[in-house]
Amino acid sequence: MMKFDVVIIGGGLSGLTCGIRLAQEGKKCVIISSGQSALHFSSGSFDLLNSLPDGTRVTNPLESLSDLSLLNPTHPYVKMGKERFAALAEESKQLLEGVGIHTKGSYKKNHYRITPLAMVKSTWLTMMDFLSTDDPKTFNCKSFALFNFVGYLDFYPDYLSEKFERMGVKTQKFSIDLSSVERMRRNPSELRSTNIARLFDEEEARKNLIRILEEKAADYEVVLLPACLGLENANVISELSKAIGKPVYVVATFPPSVAGIRAQYLLKQKFMRLGGMYMLGDTVNRVDMKENSINKIFTVNHGDIPIVGDDYILCSGSFFSQGLVALPDKVIDPIFGLDIDYSPNRQDWYTANVYDKQRYLTFGVETNNDFLAIKDKKIVRNLHACGAILGGFDALKEGCGSGVSLLTALYVAEEILRK
Amino acid sequence: MNEYEVIIIGGGATGAGVLRDCCLRGLKAILVERFDIATGATGRNHGLLHSGARYAVTDQESACECIKENKILRRIASHCVEGTDGFFISLPGDDLSFQTKFVESCLKAGIDAEVYDPKEALAIEPSMNPSVIGAVRVPDGSIDPFRLTASNIQDAKSHHGTVLTYHEVIGLIRENDTITGVEVLDKKTGEKFKLYAPIIVNAGGIWGSHIAEYADLKVSMFPAKGALLIYGHRVNKIVLNRCRKPSDADILVPGDTICLIGTTSTKVPYDQIDNMHVLPEEVEILRKGAGELSPILDKTRILRCYAGVRPLVASDNDPTGRSVSRGIVLFDHESRDGLKGFITITGGKLMTYRLMAEKATDLICEKLNVKKKCETSSLKLPGSREDKETILKKIYSMPISIKESLIYRHGDIAEKMSNEDGVNNSLVCECEEVSAGEVLYAIDHMDVNNLIDLRRRTRIGMGTCQGELCACRASGMLGKYKKKCSYRAKEDLSLFLNERWKGIYPIAWGDSLRESQYSAWVYQSVCGLGDNNKTKDDEI
Repeated sequence: MMKFDVVIIGGGLSGLTCGIRLAQEGKKCVIISSGQSALHFSSGSFDLLNSLPDGTRVTNPLESLSDLSLLNPTHPYVKMGKERFAALAEESKQLLEGVGIHTKGSYKKNHYRITPLAMVKSTWLTMMDFLSTDDPKTFNCKSFALFNFVGYLDFYPDYLSEKFERMGVKTQKFSIDLSSVERMRRNPSELRSTNIARLFDEEEARKNLIRILEEKAADYEVVLLPACLGLENANVISELSKAIGKPVYVVATFPPSVAGIRAQYLLKQKFMRLGGMYMLGDTVNRVDMKENSINKIFTVNHGDIPIVGDDYILCSGSFFSQGLVALPDKVIDPIFGLDIDYSPNRQDWYTANVYDKQRYLTFGVETNNDFLAIKDKKIVRNLHACGAILGGFDALKEGCGSGVSLLTALYVAEEILRK
Repeated sequence: MNEYEVIIIGGGATGAGVLRDCCLRGLKAILVERFDIATGATGRNHGLLHSGARYAVTDQESACECIKENKILRRIASHCVEGTDGFFISLPGDDLSFQTKFVESCLKAGIDAEVYDPKEALAIEPSMNPSVIGAVRVPDGSIDPFRLTASNIQDAKSHHGTVLTYHEVIGLIRENDTITGVEVLDKKTGEKFKLYAPIIVNAGGIWGSHIAEYADLKVSMFPAKGALLIYGHRVNKIVLNRCRKPSDADILVPGDTICLIGTTSTKVPYDQIDNMHVLPEEVEILRKGAGELSPILDKTRILRCYAGVRPLVASDNDPTGRSVSRGIVLFDHESRDGLKGFITITGGKLMTYRLMAEKATDLICEKLNVKKKCETSSLKLPGSREDKETILKKIYSMPISIKESLIYRHGDIAEKMSNEDGVNNSLVCECEEVSAGEVLYAIDHMDVNNLIDLRRRTRIGMGTCQGELCACRASGMLGKYKKKCSYRAKEDLSLFLNERWKGIYPIAWGDSLRESQYSAWVYQSVCGLGDNNKTKDDEI
């Protein structure tokens, strides 16, 4: 038997946040992770609340919470209430800071990020290295020198420069032709963000890049680069900036997201340094329950050795991460068989226009107001759910996915600590 | 005043075939298509290279036509054809005496049909239902309708043919008892203009009925919808058919990286032919039929579904439509209706597109007094003129896997899509191994206007990820090389993803739903893409 205070199922943003918070307070935690995390396609920003369910744009998430409670009383934010929402939003930012994920932004005022397709979208927290703006119409500078690697197809300088020019910033495009990248190009599937990023963990590549930037960007105020420089080394951008003596920012590439992978890595490192155990590549395959309480669980890798906790937290994600599984006629949680909020008629799950609201995206496990899970209409006493597996919100249309993951994770952690 | 001798309306396989045939016979011809090539029934069927066996019992004439064209297409369009062969299998409950009749009818039509011991058949094609009680092997195969049409167009263009895609015929010009030209709308610019020619060919398939109405003619069509499912794995290497009278969901065809099951058959109102959605009950019929032919398909991911409309034509002497023909229909409206300069070629099927083109072009030549004979049954299409060994020797610089898929798709044209430049070798689409060079060639030489056109030429977005990774890259390249402004390029991307979704949502559960959620997050959340009318104002 392996005995823990808290057993966390799911090792993405929500699971790790929970784990770190609990471990900080001395709880003995294990995270069982199948290895996929939505952080791997992060935009470099965390959204808290961008739109209300009726489509109204949100500029101040905190103030919009009362409107949200009228429009969608089952939303996780509404369940936790305005006060906890504000406190946990602030706490989330601090937690990320403590992990080494430095961000700018506030839950009282959304700012704007630049997407890989050169759209300007509102958001809550943006990693420090990323280009962002408080005014969606313009930037606080006169000129950009925008760089891309020759042959790298997942970054779009043409779209970006057109957009920046329209926003009143003179933008000049430049190519970076490094011999190390040229070598990579010979293998047709190698020129992807993560492989480029790894090159810049080495000092030689950084030196060569500095030479190019010094030569080409001399007449421009700000240097922009694709967000794929340095996989383990998180300080590449500040080093470049220092070396050339002007601001350097990155702009998100198409996934995989190097910044997201690094964030996942930093969160995991922090959790393990606090004494947490991270079981990577393992899946829960059997559960032992008695009278609406979890006794023990079993995993694929540990066979008949049970994993036991006082508390269990399910943060196994939505369909993508397989926290939820859609069959032709129903939606299930494959681990505990919890009650799911979904429509039994498959035709209700979708609409024909992919850009309209898709109901399947709002499906998820049912919980009480403290995020205790429900099975067969009864509360499971020692099982909380948090993050994307929760039902009752639309991460896509409301722009609240990261916020729900972070805030519900902290809420649940504190519920357990309070016991 | 006639700039052209022939105007062909419709860019399906038939229209493209007529254009090529006309050009090879020295006629000055132009083809006008309202969307892209192969957007109608041409691209919405099984992609089955029929041996004719399916029709042998019920329709000897079609069976004979099929086996003749089958042999011709293997020769002239070898780069679009895979000679996989086919099994007609009997399952418990099927009448085995049908098999005897089936084999007799096949042999009579000139189709090689060999009875196999079921165990032996199972060993050759392990994906077939293991409870098989009878199997007959016939020379079926698969054929790629997109590349076939594109190759006809390409050859026509190299013989001075002209093609206008995204141009819609909005009227026929009539002088007394003669059709002298067409009125055309350029759908990209909104500009209207007229084209004149002594012969106008209506090759609009099911839409041809509407074209004929422009001349106040009646061609009675009975639109029959057929739905199909695409599975994400190529589970069979040999076409699997059910050995019984043709019915729903009884053909499983392997093609490229996938296999597909079809079809259903439902009559639909003519006013609905531009609005085909696959219904849940059709999905169920197809899943059931697929599982019977090959039980592993019950556990295989369905990638997408689609539906086409067969252009069935009612016989002239039977306006009720009870005796519809699946055969080739060629109307000389001069002898039929007293209207000169206008002919309609319709009915038939993808398999007989070349024969349809030959018949139509023979009539055109007769009218224009041109003596040159049809050569399309012997002249090979571009892509099929060299064997694989020869092509392989001409391409040095490419990694073998990309080279193989490039040659598989484009035959000898592959050489022009490869060069020594590493940038062109980089992969745009990982699922289908489409390189930047292939995309660039298609953009430059194959009438590609948008991402959906590009998909039909290269298979971009047709693989497991359904465009989730490659669409954005390809869009970036289109924007760059077609000099599209970023607004147009994003609108194009937005339309492409919506078009993919239309084929996914009727089957979106399991891994297909996972993939859809991932795509939605990446494109709509991370990238901020929205409806095309909303991308203009993107601050959310």
